[in-house]
Amino acid sequence: MIKRILVCVKLVPTATSVEMDGQFRLKRDGTSLQLNIADVSALEAALRLKAATPDAEVVVLSMGPAKTSQTLQELYALGADRVILLSDPALAGADSFATAKALVAAIRCLGDFDCLLCGRRAIDAETGQIPGQLAAALGIPAVTNVQQLTARDNGFLCQRRLENGTAQLEIAAPCLLSVCEYTYPLRLPGIMGKRRARDKQVEVLTAVAVGLSAEECGLRGSKTKVIRVDTRAPGLRKCRYCETDVLAEKIREVQL
Amino acid sequence: MVSQKALQHAEKCRFCWMCRHLCPVQHQTGKELNTPRAKGLLLSMVSKKSAEFDRDMAQAMYECMLCDACVNDCCTGYQPPLFIREARTEAVVNELAPEAVMQLIENVETSGNIYGTVKPSFAREGTDVLVYIGEVAACKVSGMAKALLNILEKTGIRAKVLDNEPASGAMLADLMGYVEEVTQQASACADAINAAKLPTVVVLDSYDAEIMKQRYAEWGCEIKAEVVTATAYVAKLLEEGKLAPKSKKRGSGVCHDDDRLARSFYEFAPVRAMAKAAGFDLAEMFNRERLAKSCGSAVALGYMPEITIKVAGGRWQDMIRTDAKAMLVANPQAYLCLSQCVPAEKELVDLFTALDESL
Ligand code: SF4
Ligand code: SF4
Repeated sequence: MIKRILVCVKLVPTATSVEMDGQFRLKRDGTSLQLNIADVSALEAALRLKAATPDAEVVVLSMGPAKTSQTLQELYALGADRVILLSDPALAGADSFATAKALVAAIRCLGDFDCLLCGRRAIDAETGQIPGQLAAALGIPAVTNVQQLTARDNGFLCQRRLENGTAQLEIAAPCLLSVCEYTYPLRLPGIMGKRRARDKQVEVLTAVAVGLSAEECGLRGSKTKVIRVDTRAPGLRKCRYCETDVLAEKIREVQL
Repeated sequence: MVSQKALQHAEKCRFCWMCRHLCPVQHQTGKELNTPRAKGLLLSMVSKKSAEFDRDMAQAMYECMLCDACVNDCCTGYQPPLFIREARTEAVVNELAPEAVMQLIENVETSGNIYGTVKPSFAREGTDVLVYIGEVAACKVSGMAKALLNILEKTGIRAKVLDNEPASGAMLADLMGYVEEVTQQASACADAINAAKLPTVVVLDSYDAEIMKQRYAEWGCEIKAEVVTATAYVAKLLEEGKLAPKSKKRGSGVCHDDDRLARSFYEFAPVRAMAKAAGFDLAEMFNRERLAKSCGSAVALGYMPEITIKVAGGRWQDMIRTDAKAMLVANPQAYLCLSQCVPAEKELVDLFTALDESL
């Protein structure tokens, strides 16, 4: 039976354009934040598993600035049992390696889980590396790019999205599943859920509390460094769409 | 208190005051609190902690028909119904909503409809289309529901109506915002409609049609059948020559474009086609089509009858400014509200009944 479910979520900017600081980090202050779109599916999958299993527990873990706690608090209204924010200025600027390391440290503090769910990628950094890094560090099997999920006695049947279609995979718990965006629309909070959520607080963990040293955190703990960011100048692409008769004419011109 | 998105809308206002001139509730109550911009300002003050969300503020959030007239006209893209619905959720969560609202919610919880009664059944077996009657027509404007079914029968269309037709969620959404309880109703309703396995569902009340067509999919409870408003469906039958109304002159009338047809569907021609087919010479009100003024809603009539009847009276004033004799209505909620205050020597006509009589 799947009893303890951990969901990792990230809050990402809602804006269509965001600024970077001198170290190529997204400036998140002053921008409004929302749940990363693939994480929405992961969270809803967890809430559905919980609804189907008496006594199941959903724990949500996020790493980010302290100001995200207000948005994370709303997750209690959806049915999360615990919402934990790993927040420490020392963690700022972490690449995916340092982020995964910090998350793993936090997960180890939270005890054993039957299943760890996360979105397949975050829309701000777009690396898609965290799910694999978490599974490797925790030593559990993983299925990435899940677009359908069914609980089995001691594991899951997953439909995995592939280049040319899908694959059905079985996986035993404990395991990690990364879920595709648009897989499960997030439920709306209910009146009773909102009432229950009124008295609940987001639990905040610091780097020290999860046993991380300063060297392991943020930029210092990162294996990669952004040294340059290029923007694509508009108008470089020369391709254009045309009707078939125009296309035929162009092909004739090229042959000439 | 409300979402960031809602707050962004609440804070968009540029104080041009145009919406003061078009909010039907503000017109009738004259209260500054009832301008759409004032409601946004209140929530903005709450978010800045310079005011508390209290009973008076909650009351102000309910003094609105959710008619979307302010959305249609505001140049900033300001959408008061978005934050007003969220504020209603907060009012219910924090037990600050007016008592009359809580009574309606309790009615929905106990009986499945805002009237707290057993909903009359229009159940019938049919294999061509499913007709969704809705609770207002079933409980209060049954003549309109019967007329729609008669029209279909006269065309040879075998219509099915569900026994124990579930609520669409539209009423609850107006009472407490878009919350899980509403999606649960929506999901049960979609399941019942899908189980009928018919290709088309003809929806009599545009409030139900709106939530089915514009909300269900995002909540993951899509209706597989094509959802069509009853007005559009009947107008198509007329266009295709499947209905042959007898030419009988019924005098002049103006069509009332209900809130949802006017601003959710931009559907104006079908109601007029029905009116012409029923024998009316059409006049028009200045406030028509997308600029149509609300005449109230069934939910609002339930929790604030005095204001809603005033708002309906305001709509009659629009009609009186024309030379028409009759107000022509094809929505059960509009019919119910307008029927509360029909002026002397004016007539309120249910277009489905009028058309049925002319066949
Ligand atoms: S019309 Fe829009 S901008 Fe003007 S006062 Fe009303 S809400 Fe504000
Ligand atoms: S939705 Fe209609 S009733 Fe409500 S504030 Fe806007 S114009 Fe007024």
